[in-house]
This record gives sequence, structure tokens and C-alpha cells, in this order.
Amino acid sequence: MTARPVPAVVRWRARAARQGVAVLIAALALAVLALFDLITGPSGMTPGALWHAALAGPEGADRAAATIFWQIRLPQLCMGLIVGASLGLAGLLMQTILANPLASPFTLGFSAAAGFGAALAIMGGALVPLPLPGWLLTPFLAFTATLTATALVWLVARARGTAPETLVLAGIAVMFFFQSAQSLMQFMASPEVLAQIVFWLFGSLLKANWVAVSVSGTILLVCLPLLARDLWALTSLRLGEAHAAALGLDVAALRRRAFLITALLTAGAVSFTGTIGFVGLIAPHVARALVGEDHRLGLPAAAIAGALILIAASVTGKMLSQGAAIPVGIVTAVAGVPMLLAVILSRKGV
Amino acid sequence: MKLATLATAVALSLTPALVHAHEMITDLDGRMVMIHGTPERVALGFYYEDYLAVAGPEGAAKIVSLSRAPWADWRPNQWAAYTKVFPALETLPDFGNADDNTFSVEALIASKPDVAILSTWQTAALGEPAVKQIENAGITVVAIDYNAQTLERHLLSTRILGAVMGQPERAEQLAAMYEAKTADTVARIANAVPSGKKIYVELAQKGPGEVGNTYGKGMWAGVIDLVGGENIAKGQIENWGPLSPEFVIAAQPDVILLAGSEWKNKPEAVLLGFGETDEAAQPKMAAYAARSGWADLPAVKNREVYGIYHGGNRTLSDFVYARTVAKALYPEAFADVDPAAELVEYYKAWLPVAPDGTFVTKLQ
Repeated sequence: MTARPVPAVVRWRARAARQGVAVLIAALALAVLALFDLITGPSGMTPGALWHAALAGPEGADRAAATIFWQIRLPQLCMGLIVGASLGLAGLLMQTILANPLASPFTLGFSAAAGFGAALAIMGGALVPLPLPGWLLTPFLAFTATLTATALVWLVARARGTAPETLVLAGIAVMFFFQSAQSLMQFMASPEVLAQIVFWLFGSLLKANWVAVSVSGTILLVCLPLLARDLWALTSLRLGEAHAAALGLDVAALRRRAFLITALLTAGAVSFTGTIGFVGLIAPHVARALVGEDHRLGLPAAAIAGALILIAASVTGKMLSQGAAIPVGIVTAVAGVPMLLAVILSRKGV
Repeated sequence: MKLATLATAVALSLTPALVHAHEMITDLDGRMVMIHGTPERVALGFYYEDYLAVAGPEGAAKIVSLSRAPWADWRPNQWAAYTKVFPALETLPDFGNADDNTFSVEALIASKPDVAILSTWQTAALGEPAVKQIENAGITVVAIDYNAQTLERHLLSTRILGAVMGQPERAEQLAAMYEAKTADTVARIANAVPSGKKIYVELAQKGPGEVGNTYGKGMWAGVIDLVGGENIAKGQIENWGPLSPEFVIAAQPDVILLAGSEWKNKPEAVLLGFGETDEAAQPKMAAYAARSGWADLPAVKNREVYGIYHGGNRTLSDFVYARTVAKALYPEAFADVDPAAELVEYYKAWLPVAPDGTFVTKLQ
């Protein structure tokens, strides 16, 4: 009796099940890590004390404990999850539409633009007469500047098409423009203000609050259904532009849509926390290593991987320095290098 | 206008007879703050010396946490002098530095203070939500501001410190002293013949090989404006930044101020402040004076080159530095004023340490 070859559909189903389990395990790991993040912090409160604070609610009688749990740790955790997921998603989208494994949400100049906007706000709200309190001005201008950068790249894409080379070149031009504008701001800034700008660029979760969580969270929630519509189309695009077009896909329109969603996710993520690097570059690679090219699983996996990396960095930062937390962006940058190497080395010959 | 009303409000609330367990003050952020009795536990963000001057001998023991970097890292020798007297400072929890985004509201709350005394630059960097977080934990937040370097805000900050720490009389005496010294400086200048001397300030941190920052507005420029000097950087530099060396030579300054501090690992800097000596500062200042093209400047020819402590600004003892600059511009009007001696006197009267070191000097 000769063994009959297993039908392709069965093999495919088995693989899909394996990948589904991988995503599930990653999600579980994220949940555990999130819990760990919640119980670590400079105040050194015991898990028991935190549990009581959680049960007592935001209005609990122990004001210090209630504030630490409900006003500080919980929004920081939520912010970490949202920003990590947004950057992970944005990273995968960017790598897909640019067909480039080196792309990240910041490739097309979004981070430089956000940094410029933040620098402008930090330099002096007086320059920009808006009826906003100082703490909202920075995220607002970072967001606006990112959308301006998006619009610039978009205009080029409208005029010259959405081929990856065109997008990348337009993006690099925009990036250099905003970087030089940002350098000019830094040159003009006094030492104290300069320090604030530089540290904003590092990215940190320390200033998270519920307003920030609801703004960034809403942007993420709005983007998710928009992305869901294009899951198949994005997967086809990974086959290559010619294949996708042969399948009847309007590649240019798809690229433009995905590009806008990426911009929105990135702007939402970095406006409140600063430009947290590497997450958007590495999370997509982790996601592909877990589930391959299918974006139906790839996008959730990238979101989970992004959140996982950021929360892991947050926990590490809190453990490294007890009192004054190291900005999480520095930890992701330092930890990102070995992670990227690990991803590269673990890749089977492509 | 608004500030004047604030000042009156604070002054009224400070009449000794009116000091009750509960009182409402308006801090330098313009927030209304309810003071519940004299605090036993204080989280201190900045203005450490001014806090200690107003709070008096018991003040140090009440500090339960602080923003450590602006003291220990920015003024290491001053920090050493105070930790010698109050060793407990060394082990206090640190809640981070607002300047570099490491300020941890959680660490501050965890130290369970009754009141958090912060600078307005700290509350501004933190943002309103973070200040609310601290208040939600049942901690009174008070913002004060000596950075503005104005008489009005110096006096208000001092009186607020007095009200918060239950030391209104001490605060009033300090405020009166500061106001009197400033008034005396201004009066002497008003009566003197206008000097018309051109003055150049440089932050002498990077060594003579590199041009350091000068000040067009605020900080030393503010002091020069107060004493009516002609600042060559005015109109050239917005706030602070380096002037071109060529411009400095062309401007022919009559007086040069080299601002020095207790910097670490700056071998060529003019080191001044706690624990620094004049013998060590002289050759460093001479190296600046020996810059190419400087030998013929009126300031260098007439030996009108001064070293002045950069850390001396934005604090209650800064009247000393205003008088140093004024004396350089109007030597006759200030002939009987000895700024260095006034600094020693101030520390003796108000602070638990002596200013052992060099704070103002002149190139020999």
C-alpha cells in the first residue's frame, strides 16, 4: 500500500491551526506580561496592596494607592498596549505596501514630522496661538505635523503614482525636510528646552493619562475595521504587484488606503508618547515568523507582537531603574537590536 | 496687574494673626491651593536652598523625597555641603527630573508627602494631568518660581514657602531683606553717573577654545538689564547662544563676566561655587583673557574680567551677583559694598551651611 499524499487543503488547515495556536500563545504571553507590568513600579507596592486598590475603585479611601493604580499604572499599561499594537500594525502595513522588509512606520518621515511638531510646541506655545493647555499642545502639534507629512507624500503619490520607489523617495524628502526643521528648532532652543525636546524624541509612557489613552485608543479602534476590509487584498499584494494586479486588485488605491491608515495609526501612537523606535520595525518580522504572509493572522500577530515588545520594554525599564524610570523608547532601541538579529538569524533560507 | 492682586492676596493671608490651620493661597501657576496646617512630610522638586532658608532648621528633616538630579548633578559641591550637614538627604527617594522626562509621579506619591513643592518649570513640563494625579492622591501641590528672576516672583515665592511651611515671619524677613538689597542696588545706580560700559557675559564651561553661550534675555542678561549695563549680546542673541568671536572683538566690551560653576569633567572651565578656589580659577580666567584678539579689549587691558557663580541665579541669594555686576559697572557707587561678604552673611543668617568656596572673583 502506498501512502497517498496528504491533500493540500488538509495541510493548509493544519498549518492554519498551528498558526492560530501561535497567535493565541502570543496573546496569552502578552496578558501575563501586562499583569507583570501592572504590579511593577517605583513605589514598590505589593501585589496584595494593588489588588485592594483595584477592588476599592478609583475613588478608594487610600488615595495614594488608588491614584497609583487607577491614574498612573493602568493608563500607562493601556497606553503601552495601544501604542505597541498601533506601531506593530503600522509597521506591517508599511512593509507590505513598500514591499520592503526594512520599512517601518517611521520610514516615510512621520517620526521626523512628529518630532518637529513636538519641538515646536515645547519651544513655546506662544508661537502657535491655540486655545489648548500646554500638555495638550505637544501631542496636538505632533499629530498635526505627522498628518502634514502624510499629505506631502500623498500629493506626490497622487501626481506620480504609488510605486514603492516613488513613495520611498517622497518619504525620504519629507523626512529630511522635517529633520532639518527639527534640527533648526533644536539649534535655537535653550539647553533646558533642548533637553525636553531630545527626551520627547526618546519616547516614554510616563506621561500617559486617560485622555491620551482614549484619543490613541479611538484612532486604533477606527482603523481596525478599515483594515479588516483589505485583509485579502493586502495578502495578495505580498505575492507581488503584478500578481495582485492580475487578480483584479486596484493596487494603487489599496496602497493609498493602507498608507493613510498607517499614517493615522503612527500619528495616534507617537503623539502622546514620543517616537518609540524599533517596535514598528521588529513586530512585523516577529509576526511573519509566527504566521507567515497571510494578513488575516499577520495583522493581529503584528499588533500583539508590537504590544508585547513595548510592554516588555516597559517592565525592563522599571526593573533597571527603581526611582526614575528609563524612557521606554531607549529600552526598545537597545533591546531592539538583538531582537532584530534573532529574527534575521532564525529565518530559514528565503 | 494680576500679579499685583495676587501679591496683595498673599500678603494679606500672611499677616501673622491670620495664620490658621487652613488657608487658601494662590501659587505661582495661578492655582488656588488649600493649605491644611503645617506639613510634616514634604516632596521637594527644586529651590532646595530657598526651601531650607524659609523652612528653617526643621525643614530638612521634613523632606521625604526629592528631584535629585537638579541638586546632586547640577551642583555637586553644594549637594556635598548639604549632605554633610543632613546625611539623610543621600538616601531619600528620588522622583526623577522633569527636564529629561524622567519625573515619576508614582515615585512622588509613593513617598507619601503631605505637600509637594515644585518649580513652575516642573509643573509645566509635567502638564496638568500629572499635577491632578498628585492632587488626587491627597497631596497638596504648590508651584513657586525663582527662575523668572523678577523681584515680584521672588518675593511671592518666598512668602508662599513661608505660608506652606508655617514660617510666615521668617519668609517675611527674607522677603524684606531681598527687597531692601534690590532697592539699595537700584538706588545706588540711579544716583551714579551713567557708566555707559559695554559688558559681555560668557558661560565659561567649554574652555577658551570654544565660544560659550551668552545671554540676550533672562538669566545674566536680566541682571545686566536690572543694573543698567549695555549688554553687547542684546538684539544679537534671542535668549542664549554663542556670539561670533569676531563680533565680541568688534564690540570692544569694557567688562567681561565669565560665568563659572561646579562642573565635573570640565578641565578648562572656570570652576566656581562650593569647594572651588580662587587660585584654581585665576589661571582658567587668564586663559580666556589670552584668547586671540582679546589682549587689546578694554576689559582685558584694564583687568575688568570677573568670574561669577552661574549657579547663583534664581535663588534668594542672587542679589549678591546683581551687586557684583553693578560694582563692575559703577565702582564708585558700590565702593563700600563687598558682595562676597554679603553672601557669607546671608548664609550665616539663613542657611545651615557656610558658602565655603569662591563665588565671585576678579582676574588679577
